[in-house]
Amino acid sequence: MNEFLSQNALYIVLIIVLIVWTGIFGFMWSLEKRLTKLEREQKNEK
Amino acid sequence: MVKKIFLYVLLAVVSIVGIGFPIVKNPVNWYEYPLIPGLEENAKIIFFHVPTSWLTVIAFFMSTYFSIKYLRKKNIIDDAKAYTSAQLGMIFCILATVTGAVWAKFAWGSFWSWDPRQTSIFAILLIYGALFALRSAIEDEQKRATLSAVYSSIAFVTVPFFIFIMPRIMKGLHPGSADDSTAGPLVNFKMNGNMQVVFYLSLLGFTLLYAWMWDIGYRSYLLKEKIEKSEKKD
Repeated sequence: MNEFLSQNALYIVLIIVLIVWTGIFGFMWSLEKRLTKLEREQKNEK
Repeated sequence: MVKKIFLYVLLAVVSIVGIGFPIVKNPVNWYEYPLIPGLEENAKIIFFHVPTSWLTVIAFFMSTYFSIKYLRKKNIIDDAKAYTSAQLGMIFCILATVTGAVWAKFAWGSFWSWDPRQTSIFAILLIYGALFALRSAIEDEQKRATLSAVYSSIAFVTVPFFIFIMPRIMKGLHPGSADDSTAGPLVNFKMNGNMQVVFYLSLLGFTLLYAWMWDIGYRSYLLKEKIEKSEKKD
């Protein structure tokens, strides 16, 4: 596995890209949850 | 929930096949991409750079659409939609510029060479940059929304010219320029079937991601406006 990756550097890039996507999606997900909660709280206050 | 998992899987798959599959001279297997003269191994940028510039156009168009809608109905939600879409368009425009510049370093030899394509995207960045300066300069909500809606709908008139027409009729380095004999019209003639499928899936994935970002963006903007208003009353 290690040898394969050091010879095919492109796949290291691929793994990094997938990690970046996971991070972006995790962030978007939590952001939407927080926003929905805030919207609900705002409605209840009125 | 299901939609978001689908979107994540879609973009992950596009990344895996877009980056992972090899480029060969004469593709035989279904997973191989053809070698495009003048682009070579760098051609894989198509799956990520083109969707960003595609989204620039879509986002600016949606911004204009909701600007005109605002001018007709004077509904502040339309203004929030137009504004956040313009923001996203700006982000994707910057991304297209930066990814293009990094690619150009290895394809053309320098990050920036004032190619017609680079010049026109620079002009678009300036035109839409002015929109944000305009918005930040006006306090009154109605006035700000009306003025930026008018500006945004006029600014969009330049977009088709700068993105679709000028870089194609002028000679330049970017694939698709008037004197481009090597790469030519990429989508129809130089891509093979599987490359086109990945390309269109990538466009779809990025568009869905934009829709999600837009949704969160304008909802949070509206919430912020509401809270600020209720604070002023107290």
